[in-house]
Amino acid sequence: MSGNKSMSRRSFIGKSAAGLTTAAVSPALLEMLLGATGCKTGSGPASDIIIPDDVLARAVALLMSRGADFADVFVERAAIGSVLSDDRKINTKTTIEKGVGLRAVKGGRTFYAYTSSFEPAGIYETAGYVADAAAAPGAASAGAPSVVRLRPLVAERAFPIEPMPSDADVEKKIALVKAMTDRAWSADARVVQAMQLLRETVRQINIAASDGRAARQTLGLTELMAQTYVKGADGRLQAALDQRGAYAGLDYFKGDDSFEKIVDGAAAKALKLLEAVDSPRGVFPVVFGPGMNGVLFHESCGHGMEADLVFKGSNYKGQIGKRTAARGVTLVDDGTIPFFPGSYAFDDEGTPAERTVLIEDGVQRGYLCDKVWAGKLGMKSTGSGRRESFRFPPIPRMRNTFIEKGATPAAEITAGTRRGIYVCDVGGGGQVDPVTGNFMMGVGEGYLIENGKITRPIKGATISGMGIQAMKSIDLVGDDLKLFASAGRCGKVQNVPVGFGMPTIRVRGILVGGKGEAWTDIEGGIEGDGKGK
Amino acid sequence: MDFKKEYLEIAEFAVERAAKAAAGGNGAGPAAQAEAYIDDAESLTISVSGRAVEQFNAVKEAGIGVRVLRGGKMAFGSSNDLSKKAVGELVDGLVKKAAFHSADEFNVIPGAEDGAVMMGGAGGDFDAYDPKIAEVPVQEKIKKALRLEAAGLEASPKITGSLMTIYQDGSYHKYLANSGGMSGWFRQSVCAGVAYLTAADGEARESGQAERGCVKWADLDPEVVGREAAEKAVGMLGAKPIGSAEMPMVIAPDVAVQIWSYIAGMLSADAVQKGRSMFAGKIGSRVAAGGFTLVDDGRLKGGINSAPFDGEGVATRTTPLISDGRLETFLYDAYTARRGRTRSTGNRSRDGYKSAGGIGVTNLYLKPGDAAPEAIIGGVGRGFYLTTVLGLFAGINSASGDFSIPSAGFMIEKGKIGAPVRGVTIGGNLFELLKGVEAVGRDLTWFNNTASPTVAVNSVKISGSGK
Repeated sequence: MSGNKSMSRRSFIGKSAAGLTTAAVSPALLEMLLGATGCKTGSGPASDIIIPDDVLARAVALLMSRGADFADVFVERAAIGSVLSDDRKINTKTTIEKGVGLRAVKGGRTFYAYTSSFEPAGIYETAGYVADAAAAPGAASAGAPSVVRLRPLVAERAFPIEPMPSDADVEKKIALVKAMTDRAWSADARVVQAMQLLRETVRQINIAASDGRAARQTLGLTELMAQTYVKGADGRLQAALDQRGAYAGLDYFKGDDSFEKIVDGAAAKALKLLEAVDSPRGVFPVVFGPGMNGVLFHESCGHGMEADLVFKGSNYKGQIGKRTAARGVTLVDDGTIPFFPGSYAFDDEGTPAERTVLIEDGVQRGYLCDKVWAGKLGMKSTGSGRRESFRFPPIPRMRNTFIEKGATPAAEITAGTRRGIYVCDVGGGGQVDPVTGNFMMGVGEGYLIENGKITRPIKGATISGMGIQAMKSIDLVGDDLKLFASAGRCGKVQNVPVGFGMPTIRVRGILVGGKGEAWTDIEGGIEGDGKGK
Repeated sequence: MDFKKEYLEIAEFAVERAAKAAAGGNGAGPAAQAEAYIDDAESLTISVSGRAVEQFNAVKEAGIGVRVLRGGKMAFGSSNDLSKKAVGELVDGLVKKAAFHSADEFNVIPGAEDGAVMMGGAGGDFDAYDPKIAEVPVQEKIKKALRLEAAGLEASPKITGSLMTIYQDGSYHKYLANSGGMSGWFRQSVCAGVAYLTAADGEARESGQAERGCVKWADLDPEVVGREAAEKAVGMLGAKPIGSAEMPMVIAPDVAVQIWSYIAGMLSADAVQKGRSMFAGKIGSRVAAGGFTLVDDGRLKGGINSAPFDGEGVATRTTPLISDGRLETFLYDAYTARRGRTRSTGNRSRDGYKSAGGIGVTNLYLKPGDAAPEAIIGGVGRGFYLTTVLGLFAGINSASGDFSIPSAGFMIEKGKIGAPVRGVTIGGNLFELLKGVEAVGRDLTWFNNTASPTVAVNSVKISGSGK
C-alpha cells in the first residue's frame, strides 16, 4: 500500500504489459532470503522458522488479550525477481520484502496491522495496538495474556515444489529471455514490438493462530509471459498475449507450456487478428474451446460464490440446493492440483487445502469460505482464505476453478452449431459485478462458425451476460477437460495467483459485442433442439 | 507524520555506496551512477458493512527503491529494510548485476541538464498535503466511514445494503537523491471514500458505485458519495437491454475520466516509441473535435498528484496534451526524452518504492466548456446516456483503438433521461469517438486525480439483445 494514491478498483485479471515489471532473483539474493534459515531449495514443503514459536505464541496471546474471538500472526519473507525484455532491451528487477501481519477478529469484524520489523518488541507493540482496536468499548483491561500453545500442522497432501524457482543463476535466465526475444522478433516480418517476461516469486510463510495451529510453507512461483504487436499492410496494429504460471522452476515448462510455445502463441494470435473480420454482434450460440477459457466462469460465477460477497448479497445468496446451472454442469474449485498457481498446502490462515464442489450437475452445493465468513454463514472454512502478502488480512478467494468434463465428444459440439462463434481464448481480462452477476470478457482469439465448420478469424468481440443465466444456457459439455496454469493475478482489492480450466462447452445464446454484422436470429444457430436448461 | 532526516540520509548513503562499490573493484568496470527513492507511508483502510466496522487495516511502511546505472546498463532493486546493512547489500548486488543488463544509450539518471530539480530541502507547496489526516483520531475516521454507508442506506427505502463501502486515507513523505546532485523531498496526502450499494424493487436487483478522493480530510463529504451510489443503484432498477442500433451518446463524467485515462496511456512516449500506440506520428494533427482540450498538470494547486518533482527528480509541468482537438505532445520521462531528442515533461510516475517507475499522468482533466449538462442532454432527440462501463481495459484494443465495452445507462428520448438500460455493449473506435465530440459541459468533476465534465458524442454502435 506504500505510495498508492488511488482507491483500489474492482479490477480482475489484467494482463497488460504495463503491469509486468520485475527482475531475476540472483543466487546471492536467494541465499540472503533462505540461507539464514538453512532452507534447501526443492526440498518439499518447507518448514523453516522465520520467527521462533515462543515469539509467535506471545504475539497471538497479546492479540487475544482484550477479548477477541480469534487471532493469528502471518510472517512472511519474499524475494521477487524478474527478467524483462521489452523493445529488445533486457533488464532485471528485484524486490526483497518482509513483514508480520497481526489480526484480531471480534464479532466477525477484522482488525489488522502489519510491521516490517521482525524485532519481538515491535511485533508485540503492533499486536497490542490491534488488540486495543478490536476491544469492545468497556472491555476488561488487559490482564496477563493467556498462554497459547502452538502445534505445527502437517499437510495431508504433500505440496512439493520441484525444482524451486531460482536454482538457475541470473546469467542463464537472461540468456533464456534473450533467446525468446530473438524468437519473438523473427516470428514474422510484420512484428513491430515484442515483450517477454520471466518472473519468480519465492515466499516463505509462517502462520500461528489462537486455536494453536502453526503452519509453515514456502511457495515458489514462476511465471512466463509474452506479448507481440504486429502491423498489417493497412497500417493497423494488433496485439496478443500468452502466458503460463506454476509453482515450480523452469524445468516444469515443457511441451505446450514451454516458453517457446508461449512466445510463438502470442505471435500467431496477433497475426490472426490482422486477417480477422469484425466480430458479429447480438445474441447467438458461442462455443468455448477447452482450457484457458475457464477464466470466463471464474469471472462470471466464481466471485459471486465467494462467501463474503454471498453474505453481502451476490446473486448466489440463498441458492444452496437450487439450480444455478444447466444439467451436466459441475463446477469445482480445487486447491490441491500439483504445481497449479491456485494451489497450496495450507491457506493463508492455516487451513489445509481442499477440493470444493461448488455446483454439482447444475445444483449449487457450496460457497468458498474462510474462517470469518464461514462463521457468518454458519458453514465451514473450505481453505479459501488467501492473502496477497503480509500486508493484508485473508479474504475468501478462488483457487483453481474449472468445469468438470462432460459426456459430449468435443468435435460434435462445433459440428452441431449452424451459426455462431468459436472462442479459443478470452484474451486478457474481464470484470464482474457480483450483485447482478453481470460480467464481461474480451475475446483474444475467435472464429466464425458457419454450417458447423470453423471459418474466418474474428476480432473485437466481447462476451457479456449474467452469471447464472449464462450457466443455465450451457447446452453441451464436452469430454475434453483441459486445465490451464495461468500467470498473472486475480484482483479483489488484493491480488493472488489463480488457475482455471474447462472442457469444450457451448452456450446456447449469449450477448456478443462487436463492430460487425448484427445477428438477431438465435434460433437459426442450433441444429435440432439444443440440450440443457 | 514527520519529515525524517534519516531517510534523506539513507537515500544519499545508497547513492554514495553505489559509486564506492563500482570504484572499489567489484570487477573492473565503469563508474556507477545511482538514484535512491524512499517512500514513507502511513495509511488506514476502514471497510464498513451493516452499519458496523467490518475490517480495519492500519499500515506504516517505508521502503527504498534504487536504480544503478553503469556503462549504459540500468539495474533496479527495492527493499523495505532501511537499515544501512540491508541497503548497502542491496546496492552492492545491483552494482554487480547491472553488468548483465542490455546497454541502452538512453538510460539516464537525470541531472540538471535533464531537468532534475537541484534543491536540498522541501519541495514547493501545491496544497497537496493535509497534516490533519495523520492527526484526526481514529474514532472520527470510523464515524466518517460509517456515514459513507449510512448516507446511502438512508437515501432510499429501495437500498438493501452495501457490497463494499470503504474509507481510506494515506499520508506520504517521498525522498529522492541521485548522483547528479539531486536531493529533496515532498509530501502528499489522500482521503478517499468508495460506496458500492445494492438496491431492490420486487424481483429487480441493481447496484451502484460512487467514489471520491481528496487531498484534505475536510473535503471528503461522505454524504455526497453515499447518496450518489444510492441514486445510481435505484436509478437502474428495472433496467432492460435495447436492440442493436447506432445513436448519439452522452457520457457521464465518471465514465469519461476512464476513457481519457486510457487515451493518456496511449499518449505515453514509451508506448509511441515502442510502436504500441496509434497516436504515433500524429503530433500537430487533428485527433479530436474542436473544443476538446486534455491537460496533464503536475503543478495543479490542490491536485492529489501534485509535486515539485517527479519520480526521478525532474521538475513537474503543466502539459496540454490535446488542445482544441490538435495533438500537442506526448508525455515523457528522462529516458524517452533522450530517445526522442526532447525534454522530459516530468511524468516519471512511481507506484510506491517497489516500482522503478514508468510514464504516468499526474492530474489529468478535460477542460470544461460552457454548456450545462441538462442542456447537453436536452439537445439529443434519441440517444444513450452512458453511466457505467464494465471492463474498460479488456474492452479496448490499445493498438488499434477499436472498442467493444459492456455498458449500462439510460435512454435519452426527446431531450429527457428515460428508461434505464443494461445488457448492452457500446462499440466503435476511439479516434472516431474523439472526433465525434459535439459538446463539452461546464460540470468539471474530480475523481481522485482525473476530472471531466459531461461530454456528448455524435454516434456509437450499440449491441443489445432487446427488441
